[in-house]
Amino acid sequence: MKSAARLMPERWTQLLDEHTLDLRWSPDGAYLAGMPSVGRIAVHDAETGNPVALLPGHAGGNGGITWHPARNTLATYGQDSTIRIYEAPFVSPTREILLAKGWADRIAWNLDGSLLAATVGRSLFILDGATGEIRQTFSEHKSTICDISWNPKRLREIASVCDGGARMWRVNEGKAIGEFDWGGASLIVSWSPNGRWVVTGDQTPSVHLYETNEGTPLYIQGYETKVKSLAWQTDSTWLATGGGRMITIWPCTGKKGPRNATPKQFLGHLKDVHALDFLPGQPVLASGGRDGLVLLWLADAGGDPSLIARRSAEVTSVRWSPDRISLAFGTADGEVTVCRLNNSLQSL
Amino acid sequence: MNTPTPTPTPVTVLTGFLGSGKTTLMNRLLTEQHGQRIAVIENEYGEIGIDHELVINADEEIFEMNNGCICCTVRGDLIRIMGNLMKRRDKFDHILIETTGLADPGPVVQTFFVDDDMKEQLAINAVVTLVDAKHILHHIDDADEAKEQIAFADVILLNKCDLVTPAELDRLEARIKAMNGVAKIHRTTNADIEIPKILEVGGFNLEHAIGIDPKFLEPEYPFEWGGIFTVPEGAAEFVATVDPDPSMRLVIIPVSAATEEALATAREQAVRIFSATELTEATPGTSLKADSTLHEIVLEEGEMRWLVEFPGAGNFAIFTEHYPEELDLKLLAGGAEMTAHPAAAYKPDHEHDEEVTSVGIEVEADCDGNKLNRWLSKLLQEKGNDIFRMKGVFAVKGNPNRTIFQGVHMLLDAQEADPWGERKRKNSLVFIGRNLDREELNQSFRKCLA
Repeated sequence: MKSAARLMPERWTQLLDEHTLDLRWSPDGAYLAGMPSVGRIAVHDAETGNPVALLPGHAGGNGGITWHPARNTLATYGQDSTIRIYEAPFVSPTREILLAKGWADRIAWNLDGSLLAATVGRSLFILDGATGEIRQTFSEHKSTICDISWNPKRLREIASVCDGGARMWRVNEGKAIGEFDWGGASLIVSWSPNGRWVVTGDQTPSVHLYETNEGTPLYIQGYETKVKSLAWQTDSTWLATGGGRMITIWPCTGKKGPRNATPKQFLGHLKDVHALDFLPGQPVLASGGRDGLVLLWLADAGGDPSLIARRSAEVTSVRWSPDRISLAFGTADGEVTVCRLNNSLQSL
Repeated sequence: MNTPTPTPTPVTVLTGFLGSGKTTLMNRLLTEQHGQRIAVIENEYGEIGIDHELVINADEEIFEMNNGCICCTVRGDLIRIMGNLMKRRDKFDHILIETTGLADPGPVVQTFFVDDDMKEQLAINAVVTLVDAKHILHHIDDADEAKEQIAFADVILLNKCDLVTPAELDRLEARIKAMNGVAKIHRTTNADIEIPKILEVGGFNLEHAIGIDPKFLEPEYPFEWGGIFTVPEGAAEFVATVDPDPSMRLVIIPVSAATEEALATAREQAVRIFSATELTEATPGTSLKADSTLHEIVLEEGEMRWLVEFPGAGNFAIFTEHYPEELDLKLLAGGAEMTAHPAAAYKPDHEHDEEVTSVGIEVEADCDGNKLNRWLSKLLQEKGNDIFRMKGVFAVKGNPNRTIFQGVHMLLDAQEADPWGERKRKNSLVFIGRNLDREELNQSFRKCLA
């Protein structure tokens, strides 16, 4: 494994109050929001790492953060079932919305920011992105919703997963527009950037891949552990999946997609892979694992990974910046680091 | 290069029927000074709200893992909540899970076997089952959940002991031991127990269980109860008012004294009498002989009476197939109810079809690792539905270390433990479940010996 420390030197490191649950770049790349499992949510200046705001955490634990897709507006959410919306410079919330009591941990703005989705227990709430008013509630879930993902191509469509697989909903329509109950529980979901596929990572070591205009899902087994991370290349060519130490990358182009295709399999992590993210527009994948390693992979070429960083605690989140030059990663002991590319990717 | 693997966080699972004292115990665990910070996962319909910093409400959600196989169901809510808790593990030392009164402990325990993250980061300290000593007998035969909660337990609290007599407690304890021979049983009132006996059980310890509780491997008897009555001159009769079964066998044996020794001697005599094929049927209204005759009393609805033909005043040992309380059986002499002293409850050898029992096997020899693996895998695959828990410490030929297997239904987990050292190499294993065939299990295990 070759070191990429010169290619991507570390620019800054900051410490969150607790375990890094998620990192999210603002749409213009000026800020990086870091959410710990409990405690204050930090908004960092992306250039210097200095916290420009330390937002109050949510009682009972933090759940999710999401940036408006076009503005530096941040929504935070957690187990107090309260959504807080902040505008830069994030002094105090411009709006607070209290949803129902229950397990509350997923929140996401849709592609144009017109809708905001949040989960409470078995209900998926759709709010008006501007006013915060509840537009619709989808409650027909067999168990607590584990994850949600908006369709990047259709503004009103969203997928949710729980015990019983995936459901697709269209805002303003009462019933699910797609339902894939495979008899088990799905834990994470991601809609492909081209809107063609919905992929789930499951409690059993498997992945389900649904082609949204086809009835039969693709059931992919053989993972070492339950699949905890999914990432799409921005042109939807590659789907990266992490279940165990191995990263398995499926080609999702052509008429058949991954059907009968041979995946690429990358082994470099010593423990389970926790986080994956593709560099926007490039077949370059960043991965973080329980072994404390942050690695870079060339998805289309394969070969040895480049070592970006090594930490003593597990890496829980990796995120490329929208300007494609910075990579943020966070660890279980609350450390947040940003590395920046200072050379051509060709040297990988 | 590896990140250090953190010590697994201990998890204690609290089960028991509604009203058995779970909340009282929970409050004790949370308020007494024991130096441990506890995170609580409380069932959504908890009996009372608990004022504690880290209490999370759970809504029981079963995840099916393998095309609906009941042996492979896990608790999805626990995976989610505990996954979340483990991201703030500096905040607590111990996790306490309270289940609903009717919860099946199977999926809770299986969750720790099946889920990768839970397996790595958490370890079951103990399944603690609270039993309402006063009321358990009313539903133990009808409620599978009560049996399963007892079967899965590592620790059983016979609670509300102040509401029952010592003899009733003996009887209840014997019955519970027959179901789960390895659980440590404590008798409590108001769930008052030393905290380490709950929080520091340290997972299943087979040697400990067998070592301190010889009753686990004690012989079984064809009767559940025996006691000596000192009867006066004059007429005496048995009265019963409940008919749980169509009939029940009993024997009355004259003994020389009302002592433990006399009861033990009579017990051996009673074993031989119960093995006799000749039975004397006694319908209500007829009389019973006090001369070692094996009677089968016929049980009917309403009050039933049998005259007892005691030859005169003296001491008589009576052994009954079932506990007298089950049919509200009383011995009256001169119109007054007699009390047996001494009296004892015995581990019964009879098993109802649906009865939960435990089977212990101990063999001082080495076993063949491959044969053992194949046997256990096949056994759990074929009989996993009926085997709730399986635990064993094995001496595998060629391996200087002890090998520990734990199973829940069809799931099996093996671990290498410490070296045998100076200890005598032996295999100790126990099965807890329904319809267990002791003889067959013994014989089939012996085929695994090296």
